[in-house]
Amino acid sequence: MRGYVIKRLAQAAGVLWAAYTVAFLVLDYLPGDPVTAMAGAGMESGQVDPRQIAALRHEYGFDQPVLTQYTQYLGRAVRGDFGDSVATGRPVTSTLADALPQTLQLTASALLLAVVLGGGLAVAATYTTRRWLRQFLLSLPPLGVSVPTFWVGLLLVESFSFRLRWFPAFGNDGPRALVLPALTLAVPTGAQIAQVLAKSLFTALDQAYVETARAKGAGRWRVHLRHALRNASLPALTVVGLLVGQLIAGSVVVETVFSRDGLGRVTAAAVTAQDIPVVQGVVAFGALIFVTTNLVVDLVYPLLDPRIVVAAGGRASAV
Amino acid sequence: MRALPPARSPRWTTLAALVTTGALLTACGSGTDDTGSGKPRSGGTLTFAVGSDAGCVDPQQVGSNDTIYSVRQVVDSLTDQDPRTGKIVPWLARSWDISADTTAFTFHLRSGVTFSDGSPLTAQVVKDNFDAVPKLGVLGTLAEGYLSGVRSTTVVDPLTVKVTFRQPNAQFLQATSTHSLGIESSASVKRSPQQKCSDGVVGSGPFVLKQYVQNQSITLARRKGYAWGSSRWAKKGEAYLDRLVFKVVPEAGVRAGSLRSGQVDAIGSVGRADEAALKGGPVTLQRRANPGIVFGLGFNNARPVLKDARVRRAIRSAVDRKQIADTVFPTGTRPATSVLAHTTPDYTDLGTDLAFDPARAKSLLDTAGWKAGGDGVRTKDGKRLSLTIDWVPNAATNQPALELIQQQLKAVGVQVTLKQLQLPQLTPIQQSGQYDAIWGNITRADPDILRSSFSTKLANFYRVPAGGLDTTLAAQAATTDPAERGRLVERAQRSIVRDAYNVPVVELQTQLGLSTKVHSLAFDASSRIQLHDTWIG
Amino acid sequence: MSGSLVEDPAGTALAPARPADPVPAPPPGRRVDLRRVLRFLVRRPGLLLSAGVLVLVVLASFRPGLFTSQDPLQGVPAQNFRGPSGAHWFGTDELGRDVFSRVVHGAQLSLKATLIAVLVAFVVGGLLGVVAGFVGRWVDDVLMRCVDVLLSIPALFLSLALVTALGYGTVKVAVAVGIASVASFARVARAEVLRVRQALFVEASRSCGARWYAVLGRHVLPNAAGPVIVLATLDFGSSILAVSALSFLGYGAPPPAPEWGTLISEGRNYLANAWWLTALPGLAIAATVLSTNRVARALDGEWSRQR
Repeated sequence: MRGYVIKRLAQAAGVLWAAYTVAFLVLDYLPGDPVTAMAGAGMESGQVDPRQIAALRHEYGFDQPVLTQYTQYLGRAVRGDFGDSVATGRPVTSTLADALPQTLQLTASALLLAVVLGGGLAVAATYTTRRWLRQFLLSLPPLGVSVPTFWVGLLLVESFSFRLRWFPAFGNDGPRALVLPALTLAVPTGAQIAQVLAKSLFTALDQAYVETARAKGAGRWRVHLRHALRNASLPALTVVGLLVGQLIAGSVVVETVFSRDGLGRVTAAAVTAQDIPVVQGVVAFGALIFVTTNLVVDLVYPLLDPRIVVAAGGRASAV
Repeated sequence: MRALPPARSPRWTTLAALVTTGALLTACGSGTDDTGSGKPRSGGTLTFAVGSDAGCVDPQQVGSNDTIYSVRQVVDSLTDQDPRTGKIVPWLARSWDISADTTAFTFHLRSGVTFSDGSPLTAQVVKDNFDAVPKLGVLGTLAEGYLSGVRSTTVVDPLTVKVTFRQPNAQFLQATSTHSLGIESSASVKRSPQQKCSDGVVGSGPFVLKQYVQNQSITLARRKGYAWGSSRWAKKGEAYLDRLVFKVVPEAGVRAGSLRSGQVDAIGSVGRADEAALKGGPVTLQRRANPGIVFGLGFNNARPVLKDARVRRAIRSAVDRKQIADTVFPTGTRPATSVLAHTTPDYTDLGTDLAFDPARAKSLLDTAGWKAGGDGVRTKDGKRLSLTIDWVPNAATNQPALELIQQQLKAVGVQVTLKQLQLPQLTPIQQSGQYDAIWGNITRADPDILRSSFSTKLANFYRVPAGGLDTTLAAQAATTDPAERGRLVERAQRSIVRDAYNVPVVELQTQLGLSTKVHSLAFDASSRIQLHDTWIG
Repeated sequence: MSGSLVEDPAGTALAPARPADPVPAPPPGRRVDLRRVLRFLVRRPGLLLSAGVLVLVVLASFRPGLFTSQDPLQGVPAQNFRGPSGAHWFGTDELGRDVFSRVVHGAQLSLKATLIAVLVAFVVGGLLGVVAGFVGRWVDDVLMRCVDVLLSIPALFLSLALVTALGYGTVKVAVAVGIASVASFARVARAEVLRVRQALFVEASRSCGARWYAVLGRHVLPNAAGPVIVLATLDFGSSILAVSALSFLGYGAPPPAPEWGTLISEGRNYLANAWWLTALPGLAIAATVLSTNRVARALDGEWSRQR
């Protein structure tokens, strides 16, 4: 087990390093001249004269060979320093750190809602014996993954803020302002959870141990929840990493729709202003979240499901 | 504290007066103004949703109305301007003397004024400010323009300061009433322009900056012990409100909906579309036409295509100003009839020059050699007649207005591409000259704004060729005779409109939406707001 | 990226002896039984409806004139903010332009972007997967690690980074969305190539001394293509969503181009007085994505089970 943990940690670090490299290649290497882009966009540049561009180029190390730039950047990134925002002049790390709590609040509530709604839907759909109800419930998740989130958000604002006046239409003030954004963000995620869970629940209900439990006289509800759901939710756990990444990225759209402060709005503003250091920090952060969640899931997984044997190859596989 | 008339809110009095006198500077309110909520009350928070953030909280550098609303409250000015009469009245300066040739201005400061860091206001502080402002350069073009040609600022005694100019400078007194020349503490003045932008400044104003989150919010708190308000204000001493929170909500529709549902107390830039949505709600609309340079296309007159005055004039004639004003802008907005808004002193009606005349536009383009092409876009020597208009999303009215202009110009064979910039990108672009035309306006209650914008001696963002216009603009700034100044300003307007250095389109009419529980939120002379007298109840 | 996590390409790879017979691309020479297709469709009215919607959307993007004669760019300003009616099915916008006409003409831009996105993902991802699967050894290792890395960056963040680097515009947004889903294509393509490569007939033709490119071209590619094409249809729906999200955020074509996402983001300014400006274009997007997903699902599973 210890060897497995170490191996997984090393793998996670490797993926993070590579993700940072991708961000570096895309953002610093792909544009013909990031400095001109920045000088045109940033307010600090004021006077865009050649000397200033040269100074900026020097400041950001663009006058060095690509490899030197890369090692310098990587060296700083490892210490958590992603440079300064071009637009505001503040360090990228603290810009992101300030915005993060709001976004974590949003994504955590959305994840909770998604699990409750999506899970509830899957359980209800597999439990019911009414054909029409099952059909109806099962038709919801495909709908959920097909509607644009920004559209859902706007419809919610229109009806629940402007018409019914139950919840605020924008901002970060208190838990009431969190309801509509979290619901919006939860729709596609909840739909995906429902799809995965319903599928594995149907599979689980056909398994032998369910038959055994039934034969032993366990009630239908008990079989459903205690036996089938427990086994069926394990596969759903493997996609949590993917879902959390999606939720964090989804905050870009949702926070824009609801004019909420947070990482997503910082990201959107940075892309608009071509604030390369900030975008780089965001990409690296997204990868960090994904890798960490997967690491945690992989480490917890064997504890939950005794059937899993940790393969020497590293990743525990269940599906 | 001055007693208020018990049954009438001060704003109602102001409004009534404005509606009846509104010859020079007009304003009007619509909707129902609930005035019966009794006496002004101290305390409370005003939440104000604005559409944009200039990315800077230094009043001396900011030129965008949405941000001026908040940063104005942090600083006091030497003087104040009465929005009704245009008269300059005392504020930080008790009184002033102006030399006969308007080259020397002596201000006698009030005593006992302190900045929020505890330091006192002295003549030296004013000198530090006026010495530093010209060094802001492109970052503070407005403030820099007001002080252009300054020879020196001298400390006469601790409370007397004298500003002398190399040439007569008639506009300077009005300039001291603007936010751009708001007085900051010596400590703030010493900081770099970038630091002042991101961290804010220490002022002596009725509110103090508490927090600035770029693109999101600006929070101000009441200044304790404030006792040196403008002589125009009704309340003496501290402001009524405890806190002001300005939130950036880019979508006009969301702002309007949130005002209706009571999530915010006031919103900025209410367009025509929102009027219908706000009607019937517990909301008052408050309007005032901004003086200064009207919304229009500021050409880069050095661009090869736009160097040809015939092309510029053709574009001027191809714009249907009335259609734009009536479709997009708030009720009561006037199509431009000059480069200056009708509320600016010495405005001249040049409506006939700005008439919509597509036939004339077409013939001008024909004579300039731009022949109608197959796809509707004119060409000359294989080049298409196409220009890019840069714009910033600081008002919901910008994009639809520009899309209409795009359609109108297409009808005469000019292809227009719209390019959206972010607010902080604007100045660098103007500076670099990498643009064809920029959509915008500048608010100022003095015609000298023409010199700031079009004189080749100053920033000359529009690359206007040097010539007779310079002389006229310099002369109007120098003259002390009001009638003579009026004639010169008229000549300058004619020259700019005739040569179409700029295509005036529509006047800016600021329209705020206020919850009916907000009282005494009044416009200043530049149609921005002063919130010292404002209360909630 | 893909909106559906249910599809399980690895699972298909587990069935080693499944005859390499991809469903959506029937080899020439085999006739699809028309009667059976009809019966299949009639039993599934939802699928029939979805196919109908898709046909309409595709038609709209090629011949918008069939659906509306109104100009999407030029309206009557005096008739702005009219609600939906017989004359204007989706109402009119702030400049009096017909919103239905804008949605119809917008289909062209949005579908073009989606097509480019799927094509980029299909070609680049497919190529990576085929090379990895066919060459094997260290090449496989290296390429698949790269794919893992791409998967670790949330798709929208990757797209946004690319937009920052490339700039704005319909095509650039499309490329950014396409690259963000390269990884899943590479995975599926590799799995399929591995499966087919081990199939008996490939082994046989190899042992007969056929050249590698002949094996690849004649046996491996045609037989591995099926699931990748199914993935492409699935990816279509999520690409429409991703492209419209980016144009909603303002990175698409400049005004007055009526991209679907842009229509909604412009309508947002008038949320308080004109609901139809956001609600109806959004409905068009949702209907299109729903239909694509439904058809993709049918291609993926139901039709093959039916046979």
